[in-house]
Amino acid sequence: MNFITRKHVDRRTLLRGAGAIIGLPLLDAMRPALAAPVARARRVSVVYVPNGIVMKDWKLGPDGTYARIMKPLEPFKADVTVLTNLANHAANKAKGGGHAKATGSFLSGAAPKYTAGADVRAGITFDQVAAKQFASQNRVSSLQLGCEDSRMVGNCDTGSSCAYTNTLSWKDAESPLAVETNPRSVFERLFGAVDPSLPADVRARRAMYRRSILDQTRENTLKLTATLGAEDRRKMDEYLTGLREVETRIADAEKNPLIPPIEKPSGIPFDYTDYVRLMFDLQVIAFQADLTRVSTMMLGREGSVRTYPEIGVPDPHHPLTHHRGHPDFIEKVTKINEYHVKLFAAFVEKMKSVKEDEGSLLDNSVLLYGCALSDGNAHSNFDLPLVLAGHAGGIRGGVVHAAEKTPVANLFVAMMNAIGVETDSFADSTGILDLRS
Amino acid sequence: MAFRILLCIWVLPVIAASSDVIAFVDKNCTGCHNAAVKNGDIDLKSLRGARTFDADREVWEKVSEKLKTGQMPPPGFPKPASDAVKSVTHWLEAEFARQDRTAKPDAGRVSARRLNRAEYNNTIRDLLGVDNNPAGDFPADTAAFGFDNISDALTLPPALMEKYVDAAERAVRTAIFGPEKRKPAAIHYPAPVRINDSRGTRYSGRDFFNYDFTGLSTPHSAHFIHRFPVDGVYIFRVVLNGHRPNQSSPARPALFIDGKQVHEWEIDATDLEGQIVEARMKVTAGEKLVSTSYLKTYHGLPPSYGGPEPSTRPEVALINAQGKLTEADIETLRKYGTRIKTDAVETRIDNRFESLDIGGPFEQTAGPSAESVRRIFTCQEKTDGCASRIIGVFLRRAFRRPVTALEVDRYSGFYAMARKHGDSFEEGVAIALQAILVSPQFLYRIEQDRAATTPAAPISDIELASRLSYFLWSSTPDEELLRAAANGTLRRPAPLEAQVKRMLRDPKAAAMVENFAGQWLQFKNMDVVRPDQEKFPVFDDGLRLAMRRETEHFLEHIVRNDGNVLDVLDANYTFLNERLARFYGVAGVTGPEFRRVDMSGTNRGGGILAHASVLTVSSYSTRTSPVLRGKWVLETLLNSPAPPPPPGVPPLEETKAGKGTLRQQMEQHRSNPACASCHARLDPPGFGLENFDAIGAWRAKDGDNAVDASGALPDGRTFQSPAQLKEILKSEKEAYLRGVAERLLTYALGRGLERFDRPAVARIVAAMPVAEYKFSALVMGVVRSLPFQNRRAADKMVARAQ
Repeated sequence: MNFITRKHVDRRTLLRGAGAIIGLPLLDAMRPALAAPVARARRVSVVYVPNGIVMKDWKLGPDGTYARIMKPLEPFKADVTVLTNLANHAANKAKGGGHAKATGSFLSGAAPKYTAGADVRAGITFDQVAAKQFASQNRVSSLQLGCEDSRMVGNCDTGSSCAYTNTLSWKDAESPLAVETNPRSVFERLFGAVDPSLPADVRARRAMYRRSILDQTRENTLKLTATLGAEDRRKMDEYLTGLREVETRIADAEKNPLIPPIEKPSGIPFDYTDYVRLMFDLQVIAFQADLTRVSTMMLGREGSVRTYPEIGVPDPHHPLTHHRGHPDFIEKVTKINEYHVKLFAAFVEKMKSVKEDEGSLLDNSVLLYGCALSDGNAHSNFDLPLVLAGHAGGIRGGVVHAAEKTPVANLFVAMMNAIGVETDSFADSTGILDLRS
Repeated sequence: MAFRILLCIWVLPVIAASSDVIAFVDKNCTGCHNAAVKNGDIDLKSLRGARTFDADREVWEKVSEKLKTGQMPPPGFPKPASDAVKSVTHWLEAEFARQDRTAKPDAGRVSARRLNRAEYNNTIRDLLGVDNNPAGDFPADTAAFGFDNISDALTLPPALMEKYVDAAERAVRTAIFGPEKRKPAAIHYPAPVRINDSRGTRYSGRDFFNYDFTGLSTPHSAHFIHRFPVDGVYIFRVVLNGHRPNQSSPARPALFIDGKQVHEWEIDATDLEGQIVEARMKVTAGEKLVSTSYLKTYHGLPPSYGGPEPSTRPEVALINAQGKLTEADIETLRKYGTRIKTDAVETRIDNRFESLDIGGPFEQTAGPSAESVRRIFTCQEKTDGCASRIIGVFLRRAFRRPVTALEVDRYSGFYAMARKHGDSFEEGVAIALQAILVSPQFLYRIEQDRAATTPAAPISDIELASRLSYFLWSSTPDEELLRAAANGTLRRPAPLEAQVKRMLRDPKAAAMVENFAGQWLQFKNMDVVRPDQEKFPVFDDGLRLAMRRETEHFLEHIVRNDGNVLDVLDANYTFLNERLARFYGVAGVTGPEFRRVDMSGTNRGGGILAHASVLTVSSYSTRTSPVLRGKWVLETLLNSPAPPPPPGVPPLEETKAGKGTLRQQMEQHRSNPACASCHARLDPPGFGLENFDAIGAWRAKDGDNAVDASGALPDGRTFQSPAQLKEILKSEKEAYLRGVAERLLTYALGRGLERFDRPAVARIVAAMPVAEYKFSALVMGVVRSLPFQNRRAADKMVARAQ
């Protein structure tokens, strides 16, 4: 993995990192960054894990020590903010499957309508409020990523629509945004369909042949056109226009040799760890080149039945969480919880390793990690297992104990403010969670 | 022909002159169609004089059509005597025929035709032996006149040019060096939830003995259409879901590719949620139907279900779910994990599939195919001379005509350039071939103007060969066709007919079914329809494919065996496999292969209107639409499309739960005179098909109401059932044949038909009865027609000559 590590993302690096089709809008977006006094781009990402957490192994020890599931984040303790007592009241009031109503209301605070049909309804999610504000400044206004199943219709949980369990982001009350699960599509969305896999000399020679082919073809076509009637000549004109555009693009690409920082993925990696890492990497790259500032990512859809043989859990996740108190089952769920945090910690580490300004990309970002359920066995909507990483807008790190049953929307208001989306309230918020003192 | 016209005059009251037609119009039509009112934007009052029937032919054709079908005068206005109507329409038709007979022959002009996606794929396949859907990511071609091979609509969007450059490179490199090495990737297919039983159903009345033991046609199965990019080893990871009752015998999930069982697992579990099975095997490249099912799913149930081979396990909860777990409980849990429901008695039989992942390719087959090598390397030595020969042979095939030494030299130059830069012999050949495949002479079919002076100058034999092959094969001419063109025999009647018959027997003629019939009958849309999953849980990709295949088999049978084109209207046979036969309720068809099945004596009957494919594409996702189906019948089978709804008329809100049945609501809609004249014609054929639901299953009831499949046509004929509707359609075979001939000629020429094409169409139709309606007669009619064999010289040349 070869990340861009220069202090400033200069134009050349940007082009190299961003691929062929990034045009002026991005360069414009970079201008504030190059002029010193203007505020830097800040980013937000929500990383979601399904089916609740084994809370006894999640909660902080009395002296603030990280419990077993949180352990992988220990090296980044200074960058992490642990949150307690936040609650999702909308889910608690809503009708429907326990998983669907929790996830379906998580980032919007709006109770999802109980339906499995096309008439789904919830609310705009806070990430999309931010995405709207940044839309004009980035190539991609927001990314919705997932590492499992992206279907949006049908019944996924006791008569509740799959739209409620399979995505986090809603553009408005009626528009859930489907998650993109194929890294190749994510890559092409960010960089265009460029294939950079060949050795440089072969690429150069092939480009030269291509140019020569197009050159000759244009000449031949002009000769041919002279012998044709009017309609056919119009057709050839169209052909020549197309030819000219391809030639221009090739010439352009040669002037600015463009190498995206990672190879274009060929599809979904077969191994889950590789898959999640790749999806995280794509987010880091997108943030780094300021291609987007907002992303959400689901490590699994809510109610996921993924198995984790790679960590010794060959059983499906969801049934395990309804463990009926059985210690073996609880142990297996804990292992999954731990494993997810480990994958997230690698994301935090990568964000921290990318230098930006006097600090790192992580310093200019806020990453929310957690779940819309606390105890999966009971489908509880209180004391949600949530942590932040990053220092965007002066988030300090440490522990923020909220008052009992504080609406989680108070956190979202604080997060929006941290990334420069000024607001006093959102959904059912009763205030702004203080993340700075 | 002359005899028939005489006969008409004998039988009918004689109209001596055009003035009688004008008198009829003044009496019956001009009240609404005059300069002041101008209903339908038609003013018949202003059409006067003997020349009007020629000058305003389009209007008079409309008049004739409206009178013939009884649409005009509309309901509520006095009806003229039917004899009077007949004599007017006959006079008009005779007048049109006279005009056509005396018109100067004109073959029309087709501008350079760009290969569309299907043609590009087939042409690359036949040139290079590479069959991997290279046009798959090209932008969709624009259609016009119902087809996507119409020259004027086939523009070249700028994005496409880049795709052509990429595709040429990829196709040539695949052919010469083998498919590019792919990194293994997984494609995830979630299975639709088609069976999700609520707890406690005891399945009374289900026949556990007479069912599909392969499971492929049960809702427990899942079907996915997947394209394997290259030959290689693939991993299939199947995630199960659902339940089987406590304590059934092990479940037996199985994997099928294109209906053939390729793997079987055994899994001892009754709680199948999230259980995974995997298989790894070699698969050849191409698009395939991958299915997962449970073998003998109703075997091995507990004895209380009364099914075959009952299991011997106890139907009780194995642990005490309330209170504290005992040591024994923990032992039981440990033993079964989540695989077997231990704390309750499971009664559901909703074993199903959650998803399928196809991962690969692993151990990708490397190197070019023998077929590609044979086609390209027509000269064996790695010398410059051989390279030139290879390039010359390829160039002739790619340009579909003899090529000059100068042209060969020009492309050999690319070979020389690559060699000069130190690249290999093969690399050099590859660059030259790439250049050929991006040139306009390959991407377009360009016909040369000759210095002719008539509006109908014969095209060259070699151009005729291309017209034939793209018409019948959607692909490039083969060696035999090129040779026949080169030795000057192609235009002689007997060899021409022999060539056409040979081509129709060739498997490549399937392209006619896919590209011509698929668009004419619209069953190509089967790929994109999305019937509502909840209303039609039985519909899945397996059924989707089976429906499409039925129609393809039926039409391929007609094409390749030179069948009767009237079979489309009604037939006593069709082609079914087990899946579709079960869906149709036809007994005695087992296995995935399609075979001819006698449909006489069934409710359903035969002919295209009994095909689930067209019945599905002419329905909404949740329900049938008599309007859509009626429109389909009129346009497709009767060559009498309905005009678009007049502006300002609100559409019938069929979805609104209004008063009465859908049919009653529609009849209300028709009571509005603005809608009546069209809907009186549109709806009845749709009503006649109400016995088929929105995915084409036979039904006697729609919800709680008995289906009413009766209807009355504007001309007074009535029917009570789909079978009787078909009888009426069969009596309209001339309209049908004219429709087919027009469509086929449009498709063959790649342009919309003009007035000057009418004699050609009339001639094709007239020859059909003598030829016993054979498909080859229809095709030969097109092939022999003036516009297919000729081309109008460029306008300025004709002008200069006159």
